[in-house]
Amino acid sequence: MEEPIIVVDKVNAGYEKLQTLFDVSLEIPRGKITVIVGPNGAGKSTLLKTLFGLTKVYSGRITFEGRDITRLPPHERAKLGMAFIFQLNNVFAELTVKENLRLAGHDLPASVLEERIREVFETFPRLRERLDQKAGTMSGGERQMLAMAIGMIRKPKVFLIDEPTAGLAPKLAREVLENVRKLNEQGYTIVLVEQNVKAGLEIGDKGVLVVSGRIAFDGPAAELLARKDLAKMYLGIS
Amino acid sequence: MVDLNVFTTTTIYASVLALLSLGITLIYMTTRVFNFAHPRLSLVAAYAAATFMAIYARSAHLKPNLEPAETSIGYVTVPFPASFYLVGVVAATVFGVVAALVEYYAILKPLLRRGADYLKLMIATLAYDFILMAVLFLYNTHRAVKSALSNPLRLTPTSLSMTAYDVSIVTEGGTFIAGMFIFSAALAVALAAALYLLLYRTTLGVKMRASIENPPLAEVLGINVERIYAIAWILSGATAGLAGYIMLFATSAGSLKPISATSPADEIVVSAFAGSIVGGVNSIFGSIAGGLLIGYAETYVTQLLQAITGYPEMFQYARVVSMAIVALTLLFAPSGLAGLLRSPRARRLLSRIPVPGRARGGGR
Repeated sequence: MEEPIIVVDKVNAGYEKLQTLFDVSLEIPRGKITVIVGPNGAGKSTLLKTLFGLTKVYSGRITFEGRDITRLPPHERAKLGMAFIFQLNNVFAELTVKENLRLAGHDLPASVLEERIREVFETFPRLRERLDQKAGTMSGGERQMLAMAIGMIRKPKVFLIDEPTAGLAPKLAREVLENVRKLNEQGYTIVLVEQNVKAGLEIGDKGVLVVSGRIAFDGPAAELLARKDLAKMYLGIS
Repeated sequence: MVDLNVFTTTTIYASVLALLSLGITLIYMTTRVFNFAHPRLSLVAAYAAATFMAIYARSAHLKPNLEPAETSIGYVTVPFPASFYLVGVVAATVFGVVAALVEYYAILKPLLRRGADYLKLMIATLAYDFILMAVLFLYNTHRAVKSALSNPLRLTPTSLSMTAYDVSIVTEGGTFIAGMFIFSAALAVALAAALYLLLYRTTLGVKMRASIENPPLAEVLGINVERIYAIAWILSGATAGLAGYIMLFATSAGSLKPISATSPADEIVVSAFAGSIVGGVNSIFGSIAGGLLIGYAETYVTQLLQAITGYPEMFQYARVVSMAIVALTLLFAPSGLAGLLRSPRARRLLSRIPVPGRARGGGR
C-alpha cells in the first residue's frame, strides 16, 4: 500500500487555552478524497486547520510526506505543497480575479504563472470572463470557484477544503462538490470538511467521523455512510 | 492675502503630521493597534540625528557658515556641506526604525503571542512611550551628551533646535524660504508616489495589500505575513524618523516646539491621530491627506476664527480645531477621506477624469 501523504499521531490541539482535539491519530491517503464529518462544534474544522498549522498543537506529531511539520508555520507548509481553502473569506475581495491568481503564484516564475493561470481557466472557464472584476463583487459559487483556482495555481499535493458548500443553494452546492471531485480526478489529494454529510461522503473515498474532538470512525466513506447507528446518533440522518 | 511665511511653516508642520499619521495608519492596518508611542519615536530619531551631526561636525572640523552667497535665485545660505545633513537624515531614519522594531519585537509581538487584545496592546504602547520618555530624560541630562551637542553646534540638549543651521534662500524680492519647507514638501510628495509604486506596482506591495486585507488567507498562500508586518513597522519607524529630522529644523512651524524628552510629541500626538482618523484609519493615502489637512486646518481655521471673533489668543485652541474635525468626520464620514473617495458619487466624478491606460481592461 502507498505511504499516506499526511500522518497525524496522537495530536492534542486547540485555540490557545481551549483544547478542542484530543489524542487524534489519522492517516490521509495520497490521491484520494478524505471526508471529515461530525456534529456542529465537534472539531472538524479545527482538525483541518491543525493539519495546516492554524491552531496550537500541545502535543503529538504531524508529518507531511514523512517530514515532521508539527511546528512549521502555515506559509512554510504552503511551500511544501499544501493548500487550504477557507469556508469564508477565501478570496481577496478587494483584489481583482487576475490579482488574486497572480498573488497565489507570487513565488512562481512569470512564464510558469501565466501557464498555470491558463490551465486554471480550462478547469473554470467562467473565471476568464471575470478577469478584471473585484472578487468581492462575485457570486458565492463563483467565489468558491476562484478559491479553488487560487489553490490550484501552486499545484499543491494536497487540498484542505473547509465546508465549501456552507450557505450555498443546493444546486450550487452540488456544483462545488462536483468541482472538488474534478480536482481529485486531476490527481490532487483532497481533505474535505463537509456539513452536507451524504453528498460529501458520496464523493469521498475515506470517511472520518469526529465527535467531541475525538475520532469516532475512520474507514471507507461508503462504510460510514452505511452505518445507520452513527448516522442517526451524530449526523442527523435517519 | 496668504502670508508666505505662514504658508511655508504650516506646510512643514503639515508634512510632519502627514508622516506621523501615515506611520500610525500603517501600524493600525497591520498590527491592529493604535501606537501611542509613535510621535515619541520621532524624538528618539531627532536626538540621534542631532548627536550624530554634532559628532560628525566636530570630527570633520566643520564650522557653520552663515554667510549668504549671491546666486541667480537670490541669497542662499548653506551653513554646512550636504554630507552633514545626510548624516542627520540617515541617523534619524535608522534610529526611528530601531525604536519601532524594539517596540514591535520586544513588547507587542510577545503580547500578541499570548493572545493580548487590542486594549492591552494599546496600554503597552503607552508604556513604551513612557519608557522612551524616561530614556530620553536620562540621555539629554547626561554630561557627555551635553558636551557633544554644545560643541560646535551650540545645542541645548533639553531644548534642541537646529533651525539656525537650516539651508535658506532670500529671493531678490526679499522673500525668505526655509530649506526645510522645500525638503518636507518634496518628501511628502515623493513618499506618496513611492508608496503608490510599492503597493500597486510591485509583488511586495500586492503581498502587503493581501496581508492587510486577509492575513490568514495570505499566510496559507505562502506569504510570510509576520515579515510583511515587520516591513510595515520598518516603514513606520522610518517615516517617524524623518518627521523627527524635520522637527529638529522647524521648531517654530505650526505648533512644533524645540525638542526635549516630552516635546513636541506630547502635544503633536493628538494632531497625528486626528490626521490618521480623518484619513480613514484604513487608508495609507488617506492618512497622508488627513495629516496635511489637519496641519493646514490648525493654522488657517484658527486664523479665520481669530479674524471672526477678534480674540487674539485663538491660536492656543489650534488642537480644538483638529478635534472638531475628528468629531465631524466620525459623525458624518466615519470612513474618512478615503471613504468619501470610494463613495458612488465620488467614483462617478472620478471616472469622468481621463487617465491614460485606464481604458485598457477597466472598461467593464
